[in-house]
This record gives sequence, structure tokens and C-alpha cells, in this order.
Amino acid sequence: MTSQLVDLQREAELFLYREAKLLDNNRFDEWLELFTEDARYWMPITESREVAQERDPVAGEWALIEEDKRFLLKRNERLKTGLAHSEQPRSRTRRFVTNIVAAEKADGTVGVESNLLVFQSRRGNSEQFFVGCRKDRLVRAECDWKIAERVILLDHRVLPRAISIYL
Amino acid sequence: MTMTVPRPMVAPTRTPADLVRPDEGIISREIFRDPAIYDQELQRIFTRTWLYIGHDSQLRKPGDYITNVMGEDPVIATRGSDGQVRVLLNSCRHRGMTVCSSDQGNAKFFRCPYHGWTYSSEGPLVGVPRSADAYRNELDKTRLGLVEVPRVETYKGFIFANWDADAIPLIDYLGRDQLWYLDIPIEGALGGLEVLGPTMKYVIPANWKLAAENFAGDDYHVLYTHGSAFQIGFLPDYDILADYIAYFDHGHGMGDIPKPGRGLANDLMMAEHFGPEAVDYVKAYNQRIADRLSLEQAAVHGLGEGNVFPNLSWIKFGCFHVFGLYQWHPKGPGELEVWQTTFYDTGAPQHVKDYARSQMSQENAAAGIFGQDDGENFEKITESARGAVSRTLDFNYTMGMGHEGEIDEPTLPGRIGPHYSEQNHRNFYRYWRQLMTEDRA
Repeated sequence: MTSQLVDLQREAELFLYREAKLLDNNRFDEWLELFTEDARYWMPITESREVAQERDPVAGEWALIEEDKRFLLKRNERLKTGLAHSEQPRSRTRRFVTNIVAAEKADGTVGVESNLLVFQSRRGNSEQFFVGCRKDRLVRAECDWKIAERVILLDHRVLPRAISIYL
Repeated sequence: MTMTVPRPMVAPTRTPADLVRPDEGIISREIFRDPAIYDQELQRIFTRTWLYIGHDSQLRKPGDYITNVMGEDPVIATRGSDGQVRVLLNSCRHRGMTVCSSDQGNAKFFRCPYHGWTYSSEGPLVGVPRSADAYRNELDKTRLGLVEVPRVETYKGFIFANWDADAIPLIDYLGRDQLWYLDIPIEGALGGLEVLGPTMKYVIPANWKLAAENFAGDDYHVLYTHGSAFQIGFLPDYDILADYIAYFDHGHGMGDIPKPGRGLANDLMMAEHFGPEAVDYVKAYNQRIADRLSLEQAAVHGLGEGNVFPNLSWIKFGCFHVFGLYQWHPKGPGELEVWQTTFYDTGAPQHVKDYARSQMSQENAAAGIFGQDDGENFEKITESARGAVSRTLDFNYTMGMGHEGEIDEPTLPGRIGPHYSEQNHRNFYRYWRQLMTEDRA
């Protein structure tokens, strides 16, 4: 590995750790600033099919999440209304981001794949894990990186709970 | 002021008839908790009513199949080489193993992973490994096909099945009055409705009835449960969206029905934001309802949501919403699995499809801002039925009692009620009670 690649890898790791910390600490506005204005956030539905009939997620089909920064802003706004009952009180969350691999793309953006394990504890005794991988596309901004695209592929066929937290 | 609660005692066994008294607005918490009642529901409700299985657009070619659940019985729906759709119990006749573990696909046969018993995709047992050695050729294969659900009927592409061979036809079960409304999104779709991608699935630790009765017409909860959506401007004022609820025979109910004229006006207002193509689409959609159905149905134009008894809910609103189906699959008295399928009008402009699709995932879905708040209500209510004291208490479903039938809208069929009423819940539980108590062979 050249030192340039090591730097890129290290930068991507630190970026994702910092991002995870913002979410774990419920600093949603600062978290959202990490996204570009035209960011795309997509979480397709995982399927269970015969090996020979497997297929990749299809853009344009019904998805768990398919939105832009404008709606993510609305989600943040909603969390502040005091009426977002599914996050009132807030869930306690802990994100483990691992197996990070960063690679420069031909268009100058950086593709970062990582594994994600999120623990959510709701109210008293409701606890669950969400597990999957993220495929992010990062771009260099003035003094930092920003997320231009986040694709989340969850491993669950049946989600353990409705998703009330950011993954 | 405090109230005195009945002292917990060795409970005299209360029957479903005592526990559920819809005409008094009384529903005991027991029916959301008691394992014995849940077991009776599986036997008396989920084997005697028409249950949704899938849509024609998922089973286009011979061999196409989808898997689903009827109550807690897993089934496979397949299109045979004769073009006919069959619904088969997904369980090997030998030792019960699931013979198909995929969501959907195409198969000529289903082979049990345990010992390799093989069934044609139409159900008959066609292969038993080492049949001569193991069974000395004495096994009567003709009697060991996958168990077929005796009744399968389709309404305009929507496939339903019923374990009760003597059930009334699907069309009569759904009923002409309910179909008057459901026909609007089905016939309005310019290119017809088509399933859009995989089924979304998630768990709510709640009794299945709480979700079903909510969609049957609990418009009252929208104001507060979904108050955040109004505050952030995701929706206009609720009373602009719709006016009435309605119920029908066999426990079915629907909510958010707009006064004639309002639905089209709301959609045209939305269309203005999208430009002339969207305006044309809304007008063509409305014209199609007028041409294929009636002017009265065109005047309704867009509908809110409803529940087809027992556990199939739907949501639509106007042209800028996809048509969404929710199956509340029971998994014991305290848990349900939501299976949500989404349909779109293949004739809608692409940008309307794109908007409608992402709008639905933002709203009433696993990660939607409506779905997650609803789920917490159902979950906590289910918990509230567990305590020895709590379970002796009744829930209150009295809203609008003594005022049913006061709405005068002669063009709208069904029993119309005001936006805020529990008449539909009472209707849901009236039919529940009938099925749970009636004497039948």
C-alpha cells in the first residue's frame, strides 16, 4: 500500500468514526451537515430468493428509505417537535463501524464500504440490533469530506422493529 | 379522582361474548393477551375468512410463485401450467418441513430439504427418494400432495384464499358497498396496478387487532399520534384531507373519505406543484373513474385507508400516493409481522411514480414517520393488557355511540360516520365476536 492510499484509508475511517459518534450522541444537525446538498440516501429491501434467482436491489423499486437531504432535514425537524413519539424519550444507540475499505474512484470521489452494527435500546426493555453494510460515496469539500451518497444494505429479511433511528 | 379497580381474583372464565360488547363500546384487554383466545382466533377467524395472498402481477408465467402466510400457516401461491393459481400449504406431507423458503421466484417443483420428497408446482407428490427400498412401493403418493387451500378467488388481480370450502364468494365477502370505494384506485390507474418491488417486512411486538382496527377508521389518532407530521408541514391541515369514515358488512371499515369533490380538488392542488403533465394525469385518472365506474365515484376520487377484515389494511389517498397493502400477520397474541406490498399505476408519469414511492416510504412504512409512531402505540397497548389488574379493565370504544347514521351523504354507500368516531371499531369487533362465538360444524 502506498502512503497515499494509507492516508485515504485512514481519513475515511476517521470520518466514519466521527460520524458515528455524532449519531450516538444525538447530534443530528451536525450529522446532517456531513451530507452534500444533493445527497442521496437509499436503503433497499433485502430479499430472500433461491441462489440461482438472486438479484441486486433495483433502483426505482419500493425501498425502506429513498430520500434526499431535504427530507432528512424534515426528519431532524420532526425529532425536535416533542411529538416524535417513537423517539420520545430518545433511544440509546451505539454504532460499530468496521471492515472499512476506501478506494478512489475515476471521477475523483471516494467509495467507502463498511460494515455496520447498531444497538438500539428503547425505553425500558426494548432492545435490538440492526446489521448491514454501507456503501458510501464521499466527496472532498472545503476542509472536510462530505457524503454524496449512502446506500445501506441490511442483512435482515424481517426487520426487528420499525426504524426510528439513523443507520 | 381515583377509581376502584376490581380486585384481581381467580378469574371466572370469560368468553369472547362477555369480553367484547361492541354495542356498549366495551372491549376487554384480555382479547389482546389471552393465548387461548389467540388460539381460537387462528381457528375461527383465520380459517374462515378470505385472506389476501398476492397479486396477478407477481404470478405472470407458469411456475411463478410467491410465499405468504394465512394466520400462522405458511403458504405458496403458484401459477400452474394450466394458468390457474393454486395456494398450497408450505409444509412437506412427510414431516412438515417447509418446501419453499424464498419470497418469490419460478419453480417447476418444490423439493423438501429434509428427505427430498418432491412436489410439482401444482401440488401433487411426484417424487419420493428410494421409494422402492424405503416404502416397498406401498406409499400412496396420490394422497400425499401438498395440501391445497380449497378456495382461491381473485378480484381485479388481487388474489385471496379461504380454508373454508363453504365460504361465501370473495366478491360477496368484500361486499358491493366496500368495493364501490376500492374500485376507485383500481380502475382509476391509467395503466393498471402493478406490484412495485419486494415486500417490506418488520416486527411490531403488538397484537394484530390493534393495527387492523386502527386502519379500519381510527382517524382520531392522526391528530396527535402523527402530530409531528403536521408540525413539520409534511401534511396540510388534517380536516382539509378528508371528512368521513365508513363501515361495511363482515367487519370491514375505511377512513379518510373526502366529501365528494374534495379529493379531486386536493389532487389538482398537488399537481400544480408538479407541472402540466401531472395536472393532465390527475384529470385523466378522474375521467377514467367517471367512464369506467360512475360520476359519484369520480367525485370521491381519492381515498384514505381501510381494513379488509381480518388483517389486510390498505392506504391510498390520491394520485400522488402509491396503493399500499399491509398484512398484519399474527405471531402469537403479543407480536405481529407487517408485510407491506406497494403498487403503482403503470400509466402514471415517471416523476409522479418516483414521488409517490419515496413519499410512502417516508410516511406509512417501516422507516416512515407515521409507521414508527403507530408501532409504539400498538406495542405499549399490548403491554398494558398483561398485568393481573390491567387485564381486568376494558378499553373504551364509545366515541360516536348513539349518533350513528346521522351523516346525510346519499351518494356514498356503507355506513357513513364523521371523521372522528369509533363506529368502525365497533363494527370490526361485532364481526370478530360473531366469528368467535357462532356455532358451526
